[in-house]
Amino acid sequence: MADFDVIVVGSGMSGGWVAKELCERGFKVAVIERGRQITPEKDYTDMVDPWDTPNLDRTSDEDKAKHPIQHTVYAFNQNTKQYWVDDNKHPYEVADGTSYGWLRGYQTGGRSIMWGRQSYRMSEIDFEANKKDGHGVDWPVRYKDIEPWYDKVEYFAGISGSEEGLDILPDGVFQPPHELTCAELEFKARVEAKFPGRKVIPGRVANLTKPTPEQIALGRGQCQARDLCYRGCSFGAYFNSNVATLPAAKRTGNLTMITDTAVLKVDHDMETGRATGVQTINVNTKEKKTITARVVFLNASTIATTMILLNSAHEGAPNGLANSSGQLGKNLMDHVAGAGAAATMPGFEDKYHYGKRPNGFYIPRFRNHTEESTDSVRGYGYQGRIYRETWQSNVGQSGIGEDYKDANRKPGPWSVGIVAFCEILPDERNTVTLHPTKKDEWGMPIPVINQKHRENEVALMKHATRDTKAMLEAAGMIVHYTDNPDDITAENMSAPGRGIHEMGTARMGRDPKTSVLNQWNQSWDVENLFITDGSFMTSGGCQNPSITYMAFSARAADYAAKLMESGKL
Amino acid sequence: MTNSFMSNRRDAIKAMLAISAAGALAACKAGGEANDAAQPRGLVGGPKLTASEMALVGALAQTIIPKTETAGAVEAGVPAVLQTLFTEWGDDNYRMYWREGLKNLEQHFLQTGGQNFAKMVPSQQANLLGKYDAKAYAESGFDNFYKDMKSTIATAYYMSEPGATEELAYEPVPGEFKGCVPLSDQPKTWAT
Repeated sequence: MADFDVIVVGSGMSGGWVAKELCERGFKVAVIERGRQITPEKDYTDMVDPWDTPNLDRTSDEDKAKHPIQHTVYAFNQNTKQYWVDDNKHPYEVADGTSYGWLRGYQTGGRSIMWGRQSYRMSEIDFEANKKDGHGVDWPVRYKDIEPWYDKVEYFAGISGSEEGLDILPDGVFQPPHELTCAELEFKARVEAKFPGRKVIPGRVANLTKPTPEQIALGRGQCQARDLCYRGCSFGAYFNSNVATLPAAKRTGNLTMITDTAVLKVDHDMETGRATGVQTINVNTKEKKTITARVVFLNASTIATTMILLNSAHEGAPNGLANSSGQLGKNLMDHVAGAGAAATMPGFEDKYHYGKRPNGFYIPRFRNHTEESTDSVRGYGYQGRIYRETWQSNVGQSGIGEDYKDANRKPGPWSVGIVAFCEILPDERNTVTLHPTKKDEWGMPIPVINQKHRENEVALMKHATRDTKAMLEAAGMIVHYTDNPDDITAENMSAPGRGIHEMGTARMGRDPKTSVLNQWNQSWDVENLFITDGSFMTSGGCQNPSITYMAFSARAADYAAKLMESGKL
Repeated sequence: MTNSFMSNRRDAIKAMLAISAAGALAACKAGGEANDAAQPRGLVGGPKLTASEMALVGALAQTIIPKTETAGAVEAGVPAVLQTLFTEWGDDNYRMYWREGLKNLEQHFLQTGGQNFAKMVPSQQANLLGKYDAKAYAESGFDNFYKDMKSTIATAYYMSEPGATEELAYEPVPGEFKGCVPLSDQPKTWAT
């Protein structure tokens, strides 16, 4: 008799969903989380005022020593640093001549605490892309297979957005959208007039603008427009595991949370061909334990899941568990961000905004969709916002005394922030492997990451950079800075990993010879092993991927539940 | 929206958070006294700015951001924030950078004004510092320390409670976002 019906490794974006769905179906579920239990009262800092923020919110030398990699994340500051890992305790290496930013947090909820919350469905165009242009392998599913699961997870998570009727970015189950600012509305009108194939829409974001009774029953409240989400939210107004999926799982009475416990291996019985459980180590006491279950879900995040399976190799699975295809650890993807600009919009001096929107505008992909190119495939979407500048952009100007004070008090010009997220193609040369000798303090071999941007990513980023400038100019903005497209190279683009959307190393497919998972996120090799973190992604699209992980997690959990209910698993 | 409405609303939210036992911790922290930031915290790091350096820092800060209808830099506790940065946040290089920078400024004003900057009357301080400031921004590389120091002083001021809540507009819990409202409803820039 196994300890549990199901083990879920990892409590983040996808693991929380698997736990919720299977607990609600009546299964006894253990969620094994390597990080600590988040307690909002202790960990959340969203009520800390500027004057109680240490050292003018400057990163200290101590922070840099503890977080040499993590401290460079945009969401790392004096009120969020508790959520990012100590890089010294969690080392990784990169292949010669490459660079990789592995940005992560180990706690209940994982990165769902610090995520950007942008939530965009993949479309039929994305699910067909590999088949059409020959990169990677064909997805074993199409949009219609996933659509009802997107509906389900969006309704529960709570996504704010507008219905637009776009084939490239399907509408979903939305709460009311955030308003655009005056300058953004002008930008939208002028860009859409100049470029009929482009749309500027309110961002779709996992913040509650009109909570449902179900969300209120979980203790979640309406977004208060503070834009402090990265600190954790005392109102429970944005989706994360700790306020949504894990409480829903817990109230069934079927959830066992095992925190501070890292998984080293999945145990595999060669006679039955099944996983029997996992080998764990308490990260504090180093005590090792075997925990058993009928079904194992890996949701440790893409790189960590790959490490666990590679480390589970044995004589019957010499290249790693669930890796008869040899694809495990290959096809590592991300989204690459770039094509930024500095520009201001004249006018609207008598207008302002009230509150802080945890969101911005979005420009869905048009490249190689409504607007073709000859040198690239796939595309990019843009996120941005146009706000008035504050005192922060004036304090470095000349002046002292009352005049300086007056100038700092006055809102500045409407100024844009914009970034393109480009799709990265699946490519077998982009890999995660285990270091042959180096291990972390818990005895886990450290990963070696080898990912480079290649021709298509560079071509896309050049297009994106030109398109940024063209749109800002079309909107009548004064452009102070854009990158020079001719200067963009694979090496000087934002390094792989820095999009914090790593995915693809255990891809789904139609053929066990060329993929790790079938259409149900189920291992071809080990029938009671499922993977629903970003590793399953057969291609990446250019959309922020978390909502897709949620949809596939709920769908795979349903499939596993049916197999367990019918006695097949 | 009046100030009293804003602060009442905020108190209500803090009180709500305090209902959960441990939530009281966060609520108390958020509701710290006005001059919390003005108090050096523990000073466990390196050496402190001396009394004469602090006098210069205070006089420069108050000349850059004087008291008007709202607090000046000194009333807002800016010198103590700079002291904490110097002692606890900075390393030896940072401290040397500040010591040298302050020394140069002191010497400049001794030469041009005949006495320590801190001892001058406000009108002389404003006159001499105004000229220095104009030159610092007109001539690249003239005194980068001064420009850094001024930005730091201003940042400390606008992040202080009087700076954020009285000089600027601070609304920690707006409740909702409105994308386009008349500026006359909100003539000050948002503090955050």
